[in-house]
Amino acid sequence: MERILTRNVDKHDSETIAVYEGGGGYQALRKALSGMSPEAVTDEVKKSGLRGRGGAGFPTGLKWTFMPKEVGKKPHYLLCNADESEPGTFKDRLLMERDPHLLLEGCLISSYAIHASVCFIYVRGEYVRSIRVLERAIAEAYAKGYAGKNILGSGWSCELVLHPGAGAYICGEETAMMTSLEGNRGYPRLKPPFPAQAGLWGCPTTINNVETLANVPFIVERGADWFLSIGKAPKNSGPKLYSLSGHVKRPGNYEAPMGLPLHELIYDLGGGMLRDDRPLKAVIPGGSSVPVLRADECEVDLDFDSLAAKGTMLGSAGVMVMDSGTCMVNALRRISHFYAHESCGQCTPCREGCGWMERILDRLDTGEGRQADLDLLHDIGGQIIGNTICALGDAAAMPVQSFVKKFRDEFQYHVDHKACMV
Amino acid sequence: MPKLTIDGQEVEAQPGATVLQTVLSQGRVVPHYCYHPGLSIAGNCRMCLVEVEKAPKLVIGCATVVTEGMVVRTESEPVKKARAAMMEFFLLNHPLDCPICDQAGECKLQDYAVEHGRGYSRSVEPRPAFNKAVDIGPHVMLDQERCIQCSRCIRFCDEVTRTGELAFFQRGDRTVIGVAPGRPLANSYSGNVVDICPVGALTLKEFRFQTRVWYLKNTPSACIACARNCSVFVGTGTQRQIMTTSGQQDERVKRLVPRYNPEVNGHWMCDEGRLSWRSLYAAPRLMQAKSEGATVAWEDAIAKAAGLLRGKGKVALSLSPRLTCEDLYAWRLLAEAVSAQVSVRRIVRGEDDSLLLRADKGGNSRGAAWILGQAALDRSLTDAVRAGAVEALVVVGDPLDPADTPALPAGAAVGRVIFVGPHEVGAAEAAHVALPAAAWAEEDGTVVNFQGHLQRVQRAHLPHGEGRPGWRVVRDLAEAAGLTLPGWAAASEVFASASAVVPELSGLAHADVGILGVRAGGVSTGVPG
Repeated sequence: MERILTRNVDKHDSETIAVYEGGGGYQALRKALSGMSPEAVTDEVKKSGLRGRGGAGFPTGLKWTFMPKEVGKKPHYLLCNADESEPGTFKDRLLMERDPHLLLEGCLISSYAIHASVCFIYVRGEYVRSIRVLERAIAEAYAKGYAGKNILGSGWSCELVLHPGAGAYICGEETAMMTSLEGNRGYPRLKPPFPAQAGLWGCPTTINNVETLANVPFIVERGADWFLSIGKAPKNSGPKLYSLSGHVKRPGNYEAPMGLPLHELIYDLGGGMLRDDRPLKAVIPGGSSVPVLRADECEVDLDFDSLAAKGTMLGSAGVMVMDSGTCMVNALRRISHFYAHESCGQCTPCREGCGWMERILDRLDTGEGRQADLDLLHDIGGQIIGNTICALGDAAAMPVQSFVKKFRDEFQYHVDHKACMV
Repeated sequence: MPKLTIDGQEVEAQPGATVLQTVLSQGRVVPHYCYHPGLSIAGNCRMCLVEVEKAPKLVIGCATVVTEGMVVRTESEPVKKARAAMMEFFLLNHPLDCPICDQAGECKLQDYAVEHGRGYSRSVEPRPAFNKAVDIGPHVMLDQERCIQCSRCIRFCDEVTRTGELAFFQRGDRTVIGVAPGRPLANSYSGNVVDICPVGALTLKEFRFQTRVWYLKNTPSACIACARNCSVFVGTGTQRQIMTTSGQQDERVKRLVPRYNPEVNGHWMCDEGRLSWRSLYAAPRLMQAKSEGATVAWEDAIAKAAGLLRGKGKVALSLSPRLTCEDLYAWRLLAEAVSAQVSVRRIVRGEDDSLLLRADKGGNSRGAAWILGQAALDRSLTDAVRAGAVEALVVVGDPLDPADTPALPAGAAVGRVIFVGPHEVGAAEAAHVALPAAAWAEEDGTVVNFQGHLQRVQRAHLPHGEGRPGWRVVRDLAEAAGLTLPGWAAASEVFASASAVVPELSGLAHADVGILGVRAGGVSTGVPG
């Protein structure tokens, strides 16, 4: 298959504007600004069926139409979510480090579509290399007239502002990201109001993921029909980046059409299981927050709706593979530690529940578990899900519920034998 | 006016009101911690989760605006389950130290745990240890273990005082409230964070470990420490009920808390007013009538004082601007009867601020101006007293703060001094006759604030010693002096006499004043900005 999103990443000096332009870069921006109205761009993205690549899979074009029709009353903002922090996910990093201009072009076209005068790019603070590369790329884009005042002589202006985060997972949540960008403690906000009504500094704001925005230049350049021809139209179309990690021979980022069969990712692209004597045990298909799949559930295509039918989610497409040598209690303990550590502490269920689950799992893992803990874990998860301000609570509770449910025998073994069965 | 259904009952709501506000306005309760009517919506405690038909999950009542035709359930099974879940989470890391907690008895954590909790803990994990006595300001102590992170105190400092001293530190279940180094919670309204703290995390240094709150008797009244007259509850208690190391025997004021009054103080009061009760005990009380420094019977003292008033020569009257309208009016009648010159002392300190504090510390300056005329407030007796033009001087002491009771002017050539007041300070020491009077919180009456808002101050406990209301002292004096003054038996009767004469009070009676007071003197009403 033709590589779309990653077509430049292997090129020498791929992060420079010369290489990007050499491969046809910024032509889509030119096309949008010279021949298309912002509404036409939005329509094309809407028609393409592009769904958000950050985790929720919300239709991007539809999200853009939530912005107020009335333009000029308050500034509109585009906020690029580059705070890639979901464990097991590293696809945005590849794009930012190796093809930053693709992201910038996507940012500019999308800003044009939603009448944004500024595009903020909120980059995960630990992504130091991404930050340096993007800084240079933004300077290049300004120098070439792709950003700033009167872009390409169109009369339209848009500023690009890079903002490094300070190291909190919660700031990848879109409303917490806005709070953080405004200079406050990274706390998610209550919705409504939604960002398109009152976002950054109270102004209409659209938040899109890096990979989502990177798709936009191709949709503008090649059209919605081309996009729909890739993957599983109409709702699971387009190219997709998968971050493969865990017990496979060749972990890494792989681009494939949306709907790549999971076994193809593991056994073909990933080169198979790391050790031949240890078969597949489980897969977390969409970053650590989504429900886990047992080996016998792994005959599934990696797209939004196929995974939803299996009771899990595509999420950020961070595919974590675990072989038979994995202790599921220990794995869950590690995941729960992450969410307990990253819970912002603003709302009660997540603040208290995440730490409670972690402490129970600490005990189970070290052989101090009680019989009552298994149901209790499931119960605590149920008390968190749906009762929190943002989705972090759900993200912490879903793996706990699914691990305990699907690998109950292993948890039971820990209770009964004070030791691991693996 | 949107109509909606709450628990099967059709309800009309204020447009723009939230579900929680609407339920509360119906006199019903949905449990909540972080919501406070005087602060912005935080939505973090998740205690007010309710079911709204057609919503995919439970919603928080505090942040859900009512819409026409909305169907809300506040007592359904999913709601009860969620409430029990939240209670379990709140209590998970709570120290459960109610036996030594000052909040016990007025603690929302206790109340809701009883109403909505499961009654036992499913947790066997150790509870985290945080600091239990953090000195965060001159008046407030913080117990980080008891805190439930509702952020009311933070929002108060951000939104009401706009001083921003308090903040969250750390993250997740390590989150604690605190202040930045070198920036204590020292604004003029810091005590309010103690009132709005739904648990025992924030306590007032001047009240902690003083009593159990269920021993307090709370009397609605008004603060007279400045011309704002914030509505308050006066909490009083006696020795039997109160842990004390001072050997206190009699009933005393233990604390003041603000009482919601949209026309006067909203939800808040200043620290100066909140702690003004302490001055009541800052000087020895005048427990019995005295003559030339010796204790005498009340009747004898009154007779002697009346004799002094009846003599020839000029009489002058020095009054406190914190006296009630009733006392002031009684003194006015007496002054008229003996042709006395009247002066109301001014107490002015600091400046008005944009919230509540007034530079004029006279809790009834406006009432004094109405009853005695502005001239009485502008007049000073100092020169007249120095010049020896005053034969008999009556000094009425301050009912609240003995420090505001003047000594006689230096070199005063006053032949006769009569003192009436609660404390044995200032002029009381040089007086020929000293008559004990009731202090604030010991007598009924009315006061008028700078806006012209008339409120009642109420007797919270009996006067200490022989002290009696000022108007009764006047009545006794007049009787003994053979003057014709009405024989009032209650403060309300004094007020009735006053309202017949003082135009600003006309048409008013104690019974009409109500719990929130009324605008008097033809001053138009309006909630302070």
